[in-house]
Amino acid sequence: MTIIEGMTSGFFQAISLGVLPYLMTGAVFGLVIGVIPGLSGHFAMAMAVTFLYSMEPGAGIAFMLGAHSTVAQGGGLTAILFSTPGTGQNAATLLDGPPMRDRGEAGKAVGAAMAACFLGATFGALALALLIPVLRDVVLFFGPPEIFVLAFLALTFVAVLGKEDMTRSLIAALGGLMLALIGVDNVTNTERFTMGSDNLADGLSLVPVILGLFAVAEMFELGIRGGALAKNMPDALSGRETQKQIFQGIGTAFRHWWLVMRCSAIGTVMGLIPGLGSAPAAFVAYGHAKQTSKSKETFGKGNVEGVIGSEAANDAVEGGALASTIAFGIPGSSSMAILLSGLFILGLETGPQMLNDHVDIVFIMIFTIIIGNLIGTIVGMFLVNPLSRATSIRASFMVPVLLVIIVTGAYASDRSLFDIGIALFFGVVGYLMKVLNYSRAALLIGFVLGFAVEKNLYLALLIDGPLFFLEPIPLGLSLVTLGFLLINVVGYVRDRRRSRV
Amino acid sequence: MRRIFLKGLAATTAVALSLGAGAMPSVAETAAEFYKGKKVKFIVPYKPGGGYDEYARLLAPSLEKQTGARVEIVNMPGSGGMKGANEIFNSPADGLTIGIINGSAMVTNELAGIKGADYRVADYNFLGRVVADQRVLAVSTKSGIETYDDMLKSDKPILLGATGLGGSTYVDAVVIGQIMGNNQKVIHGFNSSSDVRQALLRGDIQGMWGSYGSARKGVQSGDFRIVTHSAKEGSKNTPDIPSVFEFAAKTADPAKSEEILEAWDALSAVGRPVAAPPGVPEDRIEFLQAAFSSAMEAPEFVDKAKKAKREVEYIDGKAMAALAKKATQLTPEIKDLFVAAIRGEI
Repeated sequence: MTIIEGMTSGFFQAISLGVLPYLMTGAVFGLVIGVIPGLSGHFAMAMAVTFLYSMEPGAGIAFMLGAHSTVAQGGGLTAILFSTPGTGQNAATLLDGPPMRDRGEAGKAVGAAMAACFLGATFGALALALLIPVLRDVVLFFGPPEIFVLAFLALTFVAVLGKEDMTRSLIAALGGLMLALIGVDNVTNTERFTMGSDNLADGLSLVPVILGLFAVAEMFELGIRGGALAKNMPDALSGRETQKQIFQGIGTAFRHWWLVMRCSAIGTVMGLIPGLGSAPAAFVAYGHAKQTSKSKETFGKGNVEGVIGSEAANDAVEGGALASTIAFGIPGSSSMAILLSGLFILGLETGPQMLNDHVDIVFIMIFTIIIGNLIGTIVGMFLVNPLSRATSIRASFMVPVLLVIIVTGAYASDRSLFDIGIALFFGVVGYLMKVLNYSRAALLIGFVLGFAVEKNLYLALLIDGPLFFLEPIPLGLSLVTLGFLLINVVGYVRDRRRSRV
Repeated sequence: MRRIFLKGLAATTAVALSLGAGAMPSVAETAAEFYKGKKVKFIVPYKPGGGYDEYARLLAPSLEKQTGARVEIVNMPGSGGMKGANEIFNSPADGLTIGIINGSAMVTNELAGIKGADYRVADYNFLGRVVADQRVLAVSTKSGIETYDDMLKSDKPILLGATGLGGSTYVDAVVIGQIMGNNQKVIHGFNSSSDVRQALLRGDIQGMWGSYGSARKGVQSGDFRIVTHSAKEGSKNTPDIPSVFEFAAKTADPAKSEEILEAWDALSAVGRPVAAPPGVPEDRIEFLQAAFSSAMEAPEFVDKAKKAKREVEYIDGKAMAALAKKATQLTPEIKDLFVAAIRGEI
């Protein structure tokens, strides 16, 4: 089967009557899972797998992947409207989404986020399609030395995010790196910072930490401040006004097409790298959006570019993450592991067999991501209105309700009561950081990348020896990292001098 | 409502009758009656979506049919499967909590006295085994290694990839390396066996020990080659590949090598059993064992497992208990070797 044949066949299968209804059901299901804080794409897929036994391959793929691909979209909605990340990867959206809501631009932020998601997903899916002929080589490009340098490069984005207050940002990022150390180290089998607790042996889980830092902290603040969630908006936006704003937001995302492309590219590449996950992708894209923006100073205060950048990267990750699963049957994340077992159930084999004989299946996946996100965008638009009304409900009612949902979300992913404690603990930490003006984003970046940096450094040293960074590819990447760091340091010093004068 | 009333009436009559009868033994409830309409917790010690989870979800409908109880799957990930294993071991001994465990890993953790292993594998009430994980040594087809002999004779150290210290990919590599005394270096610290396979494809390492199931795909696509495996005789997966037992004869001390390999093979034979906590009344265990056996043979389970490419190697509860005993009762010398391997001291 040639690629063109596979593409045509895949497209017509994806929009056929036997597949499209499943795709739509999956997409709506994923969107709802995404809206609920704490439930992630992993969860949506695991739920979807149980239905696969009686399905045709095309329908099964559309259902499963449709559910996975819209989760981040739903999560963005919650992030903007309720200052609560619907999934881990929406944490970056919290930096600029809620401030826009407070200005009365909730509709615009959601519209921009939805459209950016759709464009990002399309970019990632098309990139995957273009890479099919060289997919195996692309996937094998990333080994421990390369991943170490790239994770380190991602870490330097802290410098962009926290430019306004470098000292505090560096403290926060180092704090995050320290948090990543907690647990039994699987290289030496030694417990680190577990304080003798079995619950900490596996380290801190990402979901309760994110929910605590951002969502619970927000609830504390709201409870203390009183009033409504949307700060300066005593009355909810009218339905008509929201609708108008959504279209404005969609228009804004399309007008920033170049930013969307760049951030999507970041997302796709980070998706290709096994073990990095999508949360750092969104932050790196956010940092990039900030660095290249003409109005850097309004980032964090409700700049729509921040929302667009992180949401585009969020969904572009998908295309990249699929690559190693399709090319070798090696899942790069827990969601992809579920996808793989789902494909087995449907009787499909990944690897060269799929790329050569069943490339139409790959294209069903590609079109599922694109169409699924389109459906997610449309359905999401209808969800905004009822949900945004809730943002002007008074705090004394909203705080307990949202707290219950958040705490349930923290518990649900691992069924661990301890995780509820973690969420509440990091709620206090997050609240204090917010009050004392420490960057929670910097802490989170340190936390999510710390593990990848440490583990891959160790492996790179074992495999290639102490001078592993002098190998051609890691050397090139190291130079890029150093250059990037240099530009930032120079810019930072210049800004400080200027502000002193 | 009416049914509840009737049930109540029946119960009262029964109590009255038995009281009236006085000397007659009270009417004992059979296990089948006990399970009817009850909820059985089926613990899976890993997140949804993995192999353990899939076996459990495939089994649940058949188990419900056989027991008459409602089977609720509870995922309880943590500490490499130990959290779930502890939960099963320490749950009330009423027969309403069962679960699947990572048998081999639980045995090694127990032997090495890893912190958090609050169970004793030999003391579980086993309902049977779902599958054994046959271990295979896979090399990359690009590595130039054609046979296990090539590897044993190599002057340059062969790099074998492994996950965490004490994980099965690691223990296999060091124990077999110890027996064969070949020139090898174990690169451990990979995050998952998927990452090890990726490194194998890239050529960062030359080989890895792992389960047959995880190497199968790569073998089919021509990326990997299995050079030896753990099955002593008659492996249906790898009929033409020499077992590692054949190589033991050529070592300096064949008898001792064989003894270690036997112990190691017993470890992988424990595989993935389904277990109940100790102390459950015997009639309930027998009932559950029979239900599990029928569920494992039910066409709906067998077909689905086949479709999902999940192998099934059922053995019954009694045979499983014997395997668990064999795997946990090692001679001090062999135990020391395994403990040292698990702790990364070799």
